[in-house]
Amino acid sequence: MPVDVALEIPAKPDYVGVVRLAVASLARKAGMDEERVDDLKIAVSEACTNIVIEAEEAGRDDPIRVSVQGTPTTMTVEIADAVPVPTEDDLEDSQGFSTRRAMSAALLASLVDTYEAAPTAEGSTTKLTFNL
Amino acid sequence: MELGLDVRTVGTHSVVDVKGEIDVYTAPKLREKLIELVSEGSYDVVVNLEGVDFLDSTGLGVLVGALKRVKAHDGSLSLVCTQDKILKIFKITGLTKVFPIHDTVDAAASGESSEA
Repeated sequence: MPVDVALEIPAKPDYVGVVRLAVASLARKAGMDEERVDDLKIAVSEACTNIVIEAEEAGRDDPIRVSVQGTPTTMTVEIADAVPVPTEDDLEDSQGFSTRRAMSAALLASLVDTYEAAPTAEGSTTKLTFNL
Repeated sequence: MELGLDVRTVGTHSVVDVKGEIDVYTAPKLREKLIELVSEGSYDVVVNLEGVDFLDSTGLGVLVGALKRVKAHDGSLSLVCTQDKILKIFKITGLTKVFPIHDTVDAAASGESSEA
């Protein structure tokens, strides 16, 4: 069943779980299997968390705009975001451990069928596409 | 959304049983608990993730931070996890090479100890 839903949440930690629940529920309704729903929840959480952390560090509270579009074969989650793409320096700490941001990037790259991040005037838009 | 954190002692290890979802909202509670344990002198820690429904990079970041803290005291941090959906996250991020991951708390707590 095609879906087309938009959500706007404050860029605050307590709202990331709300987006996860809403998107997971839409995915189940669209017929996505439970294992893929788990992947989707992590990917959506990562994309929103990156924005929330950046917003907190910058002392901003721009809302996060999340839109979900469904087709009979795919589900796309678009997250409008004011976060720049991380530089290499952000990916490892002084002791050689991966940073949270690097782990987030690895999860997004691995769990999403098509991952696109495009710069916009304000920051970037992250587009996560999952095959049903 | 609440994160359940119960601490118990098994042999020479402090075991933290975590229940619920670990994300950007709840991860600070886990971080505080782990910092508290290390500051109280618990350097061999087991984090039991069997009751965890969701884990993302914020939770992973907290576990890596705790590992660095216990290592600074020649301690250890091991995990208990048998859930495929959680193990998958450790595999994707390469952390299966960083953390000893066990099937049971007893197996984790009988592992290497800083006092051994």
